[in-house]
Amino acid sequence: MKKFLALLLCLCMILGLAACGGNNDQKDDSNDGQQTATPPADDKNNDAEPAPEPASADEDTIVIMAPPVTGDYAELLAGWITDFQKDYPHLKVEVINTSWDDHSSKLSTMALAGEAPDIAEVSYGAIGTYVEMGVAVDVKPYLPDGALDDYDQNALDYMTLNNTLYGLPLYLTIQALGGNRQMMEEAGVDVEKVQSGGWTYDEFLTAIEAGTKDETYGFVFANSGVTTADFVSIFGVGAGITANFTDDLKYAYTSENMKNLLAAVETMVSSGWMPNYAVEAGQRLVMLETGNAMITGKAMPLFENNVNKNNAGIATGEAVDGSIEVEYAFLPVPTMDGVTESCFGTVDGMIMLRNNNSTEEHLKNVGLFLNYICSGKPVAETVNQILLSCVCKSGREAQAGADLGQDARNAEASTRCIGIVKAPPTGITSEQAANAKTLMDETIVPKFQALLAGETTAQALYDEVCAKAVELFGADGCEMGFIQ
Amino acid sequence: MASGLYSQHLRDPKIRIIRNAVMGVVLFFFAVVVLFPLVYMLAWSFGPAQEMAATSYAIFPKTWSLDSYKYFFSSNQYSVKWLWNSFVVAAATVVSNVIFASMAGYAFAKIKFKGSTFLFFFILMAMMIPYQVTQVPLYILFVNKFKMTNTFTALILPGCVTSYNIFLSKQFFAGIPTSLIENAKVEGATQFRIFRSIILPLSKTVLAVMAINTFMGNWNTFFWPFLVTSKDSMYTIQVGLKTFKFANGTLLSPMMAGATISALPMFVLFFSLQKYFLEGVTIGAVKG
Amino acid sequence: MRSKATTLRDRRFRITLEDLNGWAFIAVAMIVFAVMTIYPVVSAVITSFQSYKPFGSEWVQFDNYKTALSNDLFYKSIRNTAIYTAVTVPLSLVIAFAVAVMILPFKRKTQSVFKSLYYIPAVASGVAMSVVWLWLYDSSPSGLFNQLLTFFHAPTLNWLSSSKTAMMSLILMSLLSGQGSSIIIYIAALMGIDNTYFEAAELDGATFFQKLRFIVIPLCKPTTLFLLVTGIINSFQVFMNAYMMTGGGPDNNTTMIGLLIFNNAFVYGKYGLACAQAIMLAIVIAALTAIQFKVAGDDVEY
Repeated sequence: MKKFLALLLCLCMILGLAACGGNNDQKDDSNDGQQTATPPADDKNNDAEPAPEPASADEDTIVIMAPPVTGDYAELLAGWITDFQKDYPHLKVEVINTSWDDHSSKLSTMALAGEAPDIAEVSYGAIGTYVEMGVAVDVKPYLPDGALDDYDQNALDYMTLNNTLYGLPLYLTIQALGGNRQMMEEAGVDVEKVQSGGWTYDEFLTAIEAGTKDETYGFVFANSGVTTADFVSIFGVGAGITANFTDDLKYAYTSENMKNLLAAVETMVSSGWMPNYAVEAGQRLVMLETGNAMITGKAMPLFENNVNKNNAGIATGEAVDGSIEVEYAFLPVPTMDGVTESCFGTVDGMIMLRNNNSTEEHLKNVGLFLNYICSGKPVAETVNQILLSCVCKSGREAQAGADLGQDARNAEASTRCIGIVKAPPTGITSEQAANAKTLMDETIVPKFQALLAGETTAQALYDEVCAKAVELFGADGCEMGFIQ
Repeated sequence: MASGLYSQHLRDPKIRIIRNAVMGVVLFFFAVVVLFPLVYMLAWSFGPAQEMAATSYAIFPKTWSLDSYKYFFSSNQYSVKWLWNSFVVAAATVVSNVIFASMAGYAFAKIKFKGSTFLFFFILMAMMIPYQVTQVPLYILFVNKFKMTNTFTALILPGCVTSYNIFLSKQFFAGIPTSLIENAKVEGATQFRIFRSIILPLSKTVLAVMAINTFMGNWNTFFWPFLVTSKDSMYTIQVGLKTFKFANGTLLSPMMAGATISALPMFVLFFSLQKYFLEGVTIGAVKG
Repeated sequence: MRSKATTLRDRRFRITLEDLNGWAFIAVAMIVFAVMTIYPVVSAVITSFQSYKPFGSEWVQFDNYKTALSNDLFYKSIRNTAIYTAVTVPLSLVIAFAVAVMILPFKRKTQSVFKSLYYIPAVASGVAMSVVWLWLYDSSPSGLFNQLLTFFHAPTLNWLSSSKTAMMSLILMSLLSGQGSSIIIYIAALMGIDNTYFEAAELDGATFFQKLRFIVIPLCKPTTLFLLVTGIINSFQVFMNAYMMTGGGPDNNTTMIGLLIFNNAFVYGKYGLACAQAIMLAIVIAALTAIQFKVAGDDVEY
């Protein structure tokens, strides 16, 4: 009985404390409820201070949130922070490690609460959400002088919405196809020519037809669940749709090109050269490694490492069950007739976010660190691991001479593909970006899943997308013609 | 005990044996089906710590080893601390729920006080708001106002008395005859004494159910701990499992090993609370 | 007249010992409830009338509600959720009740073995179980369920990737993995039934099913009501399975309202819209719950 009472008392105390806080809080919140765009309280203090120097000696803590961009990004980051602090001992950096799965939901919760980290990893497609939320920061005023000259304009364009730069790029990743070189040659494909000059739809279809055998599919694309979105974006580029919007800012998925693409997909699905069931994301590479697929997608240059590792594991028994020796070839996506060849590329970068602690001086410190991890040695170390090249001069210098162990032909193909990537137009408004994302997630991808399962027709899909797009962007905001 | 539901067929024990055998087979078959995913999880947790081909789907791995468990414990220096954190959070939540939710449930079921209907209605209503939208205000509360990131308090408080448990205990207490309480009152017992010495002893079953459900719910909860922790020393086991390399679908065995490790404490809890489930409610005996 | 009114008021506002007792018993629960539940809910209600931004929301009156109500996907997700609920909740109750009844005649040891067996699947975390189920449901011919189908010479299925089978697959998964708790709660209720009821019925020559019909089912009513109400509430808020297993596809056929709200709040940053949808969902659930309490009738003592 005594124990029980003691326990009860303890808990009462804890809860009592919480409750007090809670009551105060409710008052505060009723103010928040009015939502008088309250500027962060610290701003007032800041005004009183003398003209702030970039990186004044006051102590400051920068919070960065990142998923495992590369396998050991967390460890690498810790190392860079130590280096960074040698120059700026007054700046502390706090790291929040996340997983890919939950990165965005944690980030949005924090952002919605006004507690966003100062810097967060975000890919191009998601920037619009944070701009719409009003938490993304125009980084230009806060970067060290001349920092921007270091970066490639093409990559910076990806971090730009409505002509405002919201962050810095880490790397431009290309997503295309990967194949088993030997099998492809057996199927009569001149692999080196494809790697160095691209291929047409007809060539591609002939190849996957010839590559389809009893146990082997000519082509496998991971298309289960949300990965369907990759199919749309990667093959969309081959059909001339390089971004959600055309250069004159009209919505692109309503164009003639989309119609052609859908028809081509319909043919592929019913041909039997592709599995007629949904393939899990993790399985596409495994199928290549076990010889169950000749060409797989989506694929990145990085896959060469995975395949080589698996090849090495065959002898030691560490390879995937049933593996065969595979020589990996990185391949471009086939290009539709009448369309300029391009490759799907997207930029992953770090954006700068506003939170309740954001003062001018703080943002300058954040800008310092942001530039530090997106350039030079840190970015080179990141990008080396994923077999890409940097999108800034200092990064490329740091990369020079590093032996990545990459096949020369693949390296060339990937460089060529990076060269033909077309950055999205920079004048897209955040509202357009957000609407395009919604349309992609709520209409195109779900309908595409149905098309891949053979449950709808290309025409029906196209009509539905057009109807929705006109609803969101207006008839004038949609491109209905052919994009060259 | 409600064994009187079934006729004992004393005259013809054969019927009874056949009846029980048939039901036993049905129950066994259902158990096999229900347990299959779990067996699969357990079996594969002893598989190799490497990527798996879907083409080699099998119920059991070809080779058995403890590699995946080693992989889990060596993946982070705090992996054991995660288990401890989860335990502290879940245990504290269970204790406060068992005490306070049952008290509230009793009051709503058996004490006639002003506002009871209204407040109970409110509690029911609260269960109907999806948690997705309450996470943001709660987050603002704990992180912005209380500054409680990375504290046990932030992990424990939001679940320390749940509407579900109040509702569960109220429904249960409603079934206890009111006469029992009236008699005690006539003899001069206070409500607290009645609750302590009459109601609680009768309610071991429901309290055990509440305890295990609450423990399980808190042990498995992911999103809230994920939000309010940012240091790996404060992660709960679920956050740790997902944030490190276990989210990769093809690294099946390490993920299953992690899941098995995280499920173990609950097996232990379940088996240690089992006797309370079996004791049943002995209202009849008290009445007699 | 006047004095009568005063006494009435007095009576209404006189605080009795029972009031004090009641308030004391619920005090802690209510304080926690106010901070952890009421506050976020009120905040969500406020937000539902705003175009929410962390720094400077704007009042938009009923815009979020209008947007939600004019969105086809909102209706489709409600329909999906309703189908899911209408199938899983009643079936779960029947299965749990049947299993609980069947466990009863066995000896204690056997009972406890069965109870543990049924409860154990519930202890494994949802994430891990989703991974297992994804493997079971793999659409390739080597997926375990497809192997089973091939064994019976049936054509293989595209399980989670076909509009025809995706919802069914989620329902099957829910029926086979979520019964442990309900079974335990039902057993607790069954064990609480006084044997004298059955003895009396036996004297009247009641059969097993008559006893079930006239004694067990009515006496289990509070439990059934509890499981039904919480079952429907949970099922309407279901989110994890669609999120982990299908992402809502194919063709939005498994987009549950919970997933839609999650996406709006955390993927698209339309938090105000998410709140409006959540509140409309809460109203629907509340109406359903009210109906259940009405239908459950007066013979249940609250």
